[in-house]
Amino acid sequence: MMDTYLVTLPILIPFAAAALGLLLRNKHTLQGLWSLGAALVSFAITGVLLWRVWQAGEAIVFQGGAWPAPFGISLVGDLLGAFMSFMAQLILVMGIIYALGSRDETIGYPTFYPLVLMMGVGLTGVMLTGDIFNMYVFIELLLVSGAVLTAISDNRSGPEAAYKYFYLSLLASWFLLFAIGSLYVEYGTLNMADLAARVAAEPNAPLLPVAIVLLFAAFMVKSAVFPFHFWQPDLYMAAPTAVAAILSAAVSKVGVYGFLRMTTLLFVEQADMIRTALIVFGILGILYGGFSAIGTKNAKRMLAYSSMAQIGFILVAIGWGTTGALVAALVFIFNHALIKSALMMLTGVVASHTENRSAAFRSVTGLGRSMPYAGGLFLLGGLALSGIPPTNGFFSKMLLFGSGIAAEEYVSLAIVGVASVLTLVYTTTAFMRIWWQAPEADKSASRLPDRIQAPTLLIALVLALGIWAEPLIALAQATANWLGDPTLYISAVLGA
Amino acid sequence: MQLLTAITIGALFGIGVFQLLRRNILRSAIGLIIIGNAVNLFLLSTGVYEGAAAAYSTATEQRSDALPQALVLTAIVIGMGAVAFVLALLIVISTRYHTADMDEVDELKH
Repeated sequence: MMDTYLVTLPILIPFAAAALGLLLRNKHTLQGLWSLGAALVSFAITGVLLWRVWQAGEAIVFQGGAWPAPFGISLVGDLLGAFMSFMAQLILVMGIIYALGSRDETIGYPTFYPLVLMMGVGLTGVMLTGDIFNMYVFIELLLVSGAVLTAISDNRSGPEAAYKYFYLSLLASWFLLFAIGSLYVEYGTLNMADLAARVAAEPNAPLLPVAIVLLFAAFMVKSAVFPFHFWQPDLYMAAPTAVAAILSAAVSKVGVYGFLRMTTLLFVEQADMIRTALIVFGILGILYGGFSAIGTKNAKRMLAYSSMAQIGFILVAIGWGTTGALVAALVFIFNHALIKSALMMLTGVVASHTENRSAAFRSVTGLGRSMPYAGGLFLLGGLALSGIPPTNGFFSKMLLFGSGIAAEEYVSLAIVGVASVLTLVYTTTAFMRIWWQAPEADKSASRLPDRIQAPTLLIALVLALGIWAEPLIALAQATANWLGDPTLYISAVLGA
Repeated sequence: MQLLTAITIGALFGIGVFQLLRRNILRSAIGLIIIGNAVNLFLLSTGVYEGAAAAYSTATEQRSDALPQALVLTAIVIGMGAVAFVLALLIVISTRYHTADMDEVDELKH
């Protein structure tokens, strides 16, 4: 096929730009602009990829080294992969824009921008690769760059949070590796399309349940699903704001992407079992995340717990598993990425005002009164998170509830509906505390805050997608239809 | 030989998990490393008993599967980088807290 560069360039450009960016280590602003340029170019190419795949209705496949499909490493730009990497690259661009306007010392380190770009490589790679071992490699890349960026944070507890994150995620990666080994023993292939075909042909292999459980656990740790979540609030609190925005909006979707692939491609026959587990863990996450977000004392931790709850909504939708529910899940994934990164950045803007850049409520209470514009944006973001029109969050929730009714999953739907009120409670509480209450007497803004362009752009997108949601929904519909038939993916890669 | 490999993998996993659960932060890191080695050994064993001859040889008997060897090589290199980073973080943490007891590394709780 002619367009294979569309699949390779979104991975290669940030990779090369990160390496070359290290040469600019003494010219800090230039390095930042260089990274932004690379991220923008690769974002544009991902956009073209998504558009082409969507219009053509078939995947663009690159066979590494021109080896035919099951033998070499395939990069597969199918609708889901292109959709997810488009989302990831968008968040990456926004993160870099925020970093350019940020006044953290961390941003000044010569490795900061290259590491952010490597996160982009990892994210895009995970979502575009068609080889399960290759996926492990990209996940590891993502993990290392995220952990290093947190460890060099201005926040004193950076190394501690990074250690917690890295330790648990490394363990999860090794479970993933074990699952890959088990699958290879049973089916003799690592290519995801080939593997899916072989699993469907021989679903009773003894090591298959082991592999499914280990993969499930690994993806749960990656997305901080309920019982494996405890690294997440610490990480998002300690990471530099720009990084926390990318982590909470895009990196947390890696596990979700894994679940989507597991239920719609790799283990279609075993999917019912996986879906039931997803609904259970999703609901637990919604409840636990929602209540913890209300009870926490730090604005960034609140957003982290909120991420847990929102990921829970997505998992429940994937668990329902109908085409309508998958549309809801995909729209939810995209919208949540925009909303959560915007809120994270706005909280970071306020926190950057304080002496120790802490987002603890006792430091930031009342600080927002000098920044009504940020407050307005935060309020809009909060409304979007709770699903109130005219924001894009409304469509996420509407599609989610609609698909739940259509799937006749009334028990889980009722819990989800009640629990989504929690979102409104904690976002308004945070808004009231930061922007409404009077500050304590001795507290005043003592530093120049971070710039606010990136959250402005994000909230503008949130509103735009709230008013004109049709393209996103149509795209999600096409993606869900594509996911509905795993043979499309298999034949696109194997060329049969 | 297969049995021995299986027992070794199991034993490494057991020791690793035991160390992982210790309160000493260095011991738990070593547990992580041991589990990593157990996984690598498992990955290698997925292809090592298929054939007798080396993958590149011109011998006529059945050749061994080269792919798990390539995989384990990649996994070892990634693991090495990861472990180096873990140890670097441990140095930072232990110089800051002057302790190896996990319960005393508690700044995040405040």
